[in-house]
Amino acid sequence: MKHYEVEILDAKTREKLCFLDKVEPQATIAEIKNLFTKTQGKSLKDEDVLQKLPVGTTATLYFRDLGAQISWVTVFLTEYAGPLFIYLLFYFRVPFIYGHKYDFTSSRHTVVHLACICHSFHYVKRLLETLFVHRFSHGTMPLRNIFKNCTYYWGFAAWMAYYINHPLYTPPTYGAQQIKLALAIFVICQLGNFSIHMALRDLRPAGSKTRKIPYPTKNPFTWLFLLVSCPNYTYEVGSWIGFAIMTQCLPVALFSLVGFTQMTIWAKGKHRSYLKEFRDYPPLRMPIIPFLL
Amino acid sequence: MAAAAATAATKGNGGGGGRAGVGEASGTRKKKGPGPVATAYLVIYNVVMTAGWLVIAVGLVRAYLAKGSYHSLYYSIEKPLKFFQTGALLEILHCAIGIVPSSVVLTSFQVMSRVFLIWAVTHSVKEVQSEDSVLLFVIAWTITEIIRYSFYTFSLLNHLPYIIKWARYTLFIVLYPMGVAGELLTVYAALPFVRQAGLYSISLPNKYNFSFDYYAFLILIMMSYIPIFPQLYFHMIHQRRKVLSRTEEYKKFE
Repeated sequence: MKHYEVEILDAKTREKLCFLDKVEPQATIAEIKNLFTKTQGKSLKDEDVLQKLPVGTTATLYFRDLGAQISWVTVFLTEYAGPLFIYLLFYFRVPFIYGHKYDFTSSRHTVVHLACICHSFHYVKRLLETLFVHRFSHGTMPLRNIFKNCTYYWGFAAWMAYYINHPLYTPPTYGAQQIKLALAIFVICQLGNFSIHMALRDLRPAGSKTRKIPYPTKNPFTWLFLLVSCPNYTYEVGSWIGFAIMTQCLPVALFSLVGFTQMTIWAKGKHRSYLKEFRDYPPLRMPIIPFLL
Repeated sequence: MAAAAATAATKGNGGGGGRAGVGEASGTRKKKGPGPVATAYLVIYNVVMTAGWLVIAVGLVRAYLAKGSYHSLYYSIEKPLKFFQTGALLEILHCAIGIVPSSVVLTSFQVMSRVFLIWAVTHSVKEVQSEDSVLLFVIAWTITEIIRYSFYTFSLLNHLPYIIKWARYTLFIVLYPMGVAGELLTVYAALPFVRQAGLYSISLPNKYNFSFDYYAFLILIMMSYIPIFPQLYFHMIHQRRKVLSRTEEYKKFE
């Protein structure tokens, strides 16, 4: 069977856009358009093999400048170090934040000290995970993300910290009961979140970028994989809800809500990728909230 | 997302060949447009809005003639102004369900800022209702909206008189700064009353450990005009050049 060579030119500039050789004579224009956009559409991955690409014997690769990039590790370290440091500025009531008579004073409420420990622990955990646990698929992200992300994390940290450490802070309505319950939720969810991060790390050997379906392990915290695709996000939302109940602070609740919205978007995306990539993906799983979302 | 237009030319024959593919090359987007039901609804919506803002315009003129002065005309058109400007919230819905091709974010921003001025400033701070700055933005909005909604009506019916297109892309040059001036002056006039009454503000201590200072918020709003207004204004100027020059080109070929 004789194959055609198809050359696609830009209608206006007559520039050669694509050259397809070995096109079947029965190929429709739609199929040719498909071949053309495939070679131009989605980004190729570093691991793709030349022979397996849908091009003829002449492969035209399109270079797309992604703009200034920055490494994921750098972004994570910066965006997490900020809240850690900023919260402590408010906790120690550094001058010019509250009235001068409060400079370097300490809150008389136990929950305020507890909140500082929890918040600081949370971000120290994140920094350590960034350095020692996570295995990143992509090396870099666009540079402008660091400004966007830091504004978000640092801004919210300052806003929350301002109220929790304020001299006029009001402790939770239901007192020690509320604080203990909320603290338990926070601790459980932090352990859960860490367990998931470790489980995900163990799915992928060092230096590789393989993707596998995550399954529950012997660690009970990972059993949430039975019900959701991204239990790390589930636990993260849970931690912040715990923190919000513990501090009874509206800005914390708002931060949890915004975070939940973003993580739901990410979880839905991840869930969709899993479904696309794996035929045998467990059908019971929802993206982030068991049975619901 | 350029639609690929493939023109198959057989070797040996000069041009000829069939034209395969839909859509045009770089520049124009594939226009799908709303279906017949959506179009009918949108025509009705835009006609109603045009009529509404005409009612406001007529109301202003009649009140001016009756009173003999242009002060405190707000009270004569307060109800239709609130009704029709608030009704514009539907436009966000139109974008969200896709029957109008604009961005939801941009439309929300524009409509919300109008609704904010009507309810959270002018309605909420009664002392400001007799200010002349209110008349300034009401007139600017009224003229703008009458033209804008008739523009949409005619466009949907595929019969847009050039004068409407011209008006929409030209009068903003004066009306936009006029509206902004009216809005800013009104917010500024409201400030002392907000401060005095502690309007919409909550202070510590309280059991939600939250505070909000509406006075400071209004000042932030005023400051936000500084980066936002020039961007929108020059965007419209740029649009004007594109839209009005294209019509000139087509006219040449008639």
